[in-house]
Amino acid sequence: MPKSIISIQHLSKSFGSFQAVKDVSFQVFQGDVFGFLGPNGAGKSTSMRCMLSLIKADAGEIRLFDLPIQKHREDILRRTGSIIEKPDFYKYLSAYRNLDIFARISGTYSSKKEIYAMLDFVGLNGREHDKVGSFSHGMKQRLGIAQTLLHNPDLIVLDEPTTGLDPQGIIDIRNLILRLKEEHQKTIILSSHDLSEIEMIANRMVIINQGKSIVEGSVKDLMSSENLFIRLEAEPVEKAVEILKNAFPDINIQLNAENLLEFHLRRNLVPSISQLLISHEVAIYSLESKRSLEDYFIKIVQQDAI
Amino acid sequence: MLFKSVYNEFIKIAAKPRSYLGIGAITLLVGVILFALKSDGLSILSFVTSSFEQTLSFEGNLLNGNLIAFIILQMLLVQIPLLVALVTGDLISGEFAMGTIRMVMTKPISRTTLLLSKFIAGAVYTACIILWLGIMALVFGQLFFGTGDLIVLNTDGLVILQEQDVLWRYLSGFAVAFLALLTVASLSICLSCFSENSIGPIVATMSIIILFTIIGTLEVSVFDSIRPYLFTTHMASWRNFFEVPLPQTEIVKSVIILIAHILIFLGISIYTFNKKDISA
Repeated sequence: MPKSIISIQHLSKSFGSFQAVKDVSFQVFQGDVFGFLGPNGAGKSTSMRCMLSLIKADAGEIRLFDLPIQKHREDILRRTGSIIEKPDFYKYLSAYRNLDIFARISGTYSSKKEIYAMLDFVGLNGREHDKVGSFSHGMKQRLGIAQTLLHNPDLIVLDEPTTGLDPQGIIDIRNLILRLKEEHQKTIILSSHDLSEIEMIANRMVIINQGKSIVEGSVKDLMSSENLFIRLEAEPVEKAVEILKNAFPDINIQLNAENLLEFHLRRNLVPSISQLLISHEVAIYSLESKRSLEDYFIKIVQQDAI
Repeated sequence: MLFKSVYNEFIKIAAKPRSYLGIGAITLLVGVILFALKSDGLSILSFVTSSFEQTLSFEGNLLNGNLIAFIILQMLLVQIPLLVALVTGDLISGEFAMGTIRMVMTKPISRTTLLLSKFIAGAVYTACIILWLGIMALVFGQLFFGTGDLIVLNTDGLVILQEQDVLWRYLSGFAVAFLALLTVASLSICLSCFSENSIGPIVATMSIIILFTIIGTLEVSVFDSIRPYLFTTHMASWRNFFEVPLPQTEIVKSVIILIAHILIFLGISIYTFNKKDISA
């Protein structure tokens, strides 16, 4: 059983009469890249802020590294790096000076050399002494990652790290997260609106809606029971339909205007389609499976709303 | 951690352009006053001394650096609180306005330590302002106008202080003026804990000072019981050091009341900041 790094149980938080978080529970294990999903206003940021003691929870238990945050805030934060909402820096200071300031209160000593190396790691070499006020959002995001990593934390908390980034910026951040996971074995929790992003990066996830956690588990397991939307170009079409209907009697196959077959199929059965058709001498010109976490997410959220 | 955080606060204050507004404003204002007194100071002085000339005869350099410094302090110590509040009122609320408070508070530093470090940095900034005012008024005053005995016109009449008896009075006066300005700094830091924008605490600090000053000067009996305890009543107590004999009880009372205000404002700040949700 892997070690639990974050354990949140029945978290709730209200702001006046508005209950932002009603009942959120989840667990993050060592080495996880954990996706924290939910629509706008679901309570993701509030939960993350409670987790890092930025705001005080009304009820529930928050334990990080098996320690309660209320009593061991400083010990926990010494081992944690985070970006909440967006990375805001002192605009009138340089990138180097900003990192220097945050390093000084991070609980571990970071030398000049280490700060420069970190700026290089996030691709900000050459801009070390430029004022942050002149930085693009993407550059600030990289600098945010740098301040997150500088004190070599065990846990990294990223609240919507790709928001507002251009496509290249999103790819860069994604690659950076993957490097952290693979090369540095960090435990990462990230929330994002880009759900396909989570699908590509995370191994476990929780979905929250209206302040409540709805589903939690491994991304692979949660997705394997999901239907995928398949679009298939095969020849001869009629033979392909017949074979597929015999093999999967429950599916509803449609022929679209472009003479492509469209149907939904369980994810774990998709690999057998090509095998089956080829063995019956049906030529496959294209097979597109459009299944995304978005579909799953929307379905789950809708079910919860009902 | 406190030392490291104080160092961080020094870096932030030193890098902010608004921090130099106070130094610049003092330089400009004192420069203008020095120029004006150099040009027309003697006629102003003779206007003041004329009423005493029937009973007293004045000899030597009356318009000297010591008198100039006194005039400057009397003129400027009313405006200096604004210059202090401009920086200290932004210390907490500025972090909220910029959003940097999220980043700072996810580091292993306690809220009390952060607040104390801001208070210490604010106190050092206040001391720098007072020090610069002292240098400008006393050093430049003596440089341009020479030195001599100090004539001070108090409510009880004319007080003449020997040249060698002046410096310690100035140093003590500056120390009490520092306490008065530190009270303003503590008030603005305290108000800064309630706000998430930079302007609010600065305006609120000045509004409170104006309100308390009006209450302090209004000769209305309803305020008689609170007037002695308002910090604004004791902001000009540096002048007590230029009285003969020295009103020691008044000075001690002023110092106690100013320190009590500083501690109360600091206590409220620590309590509020520790309770505050960082949702900015």
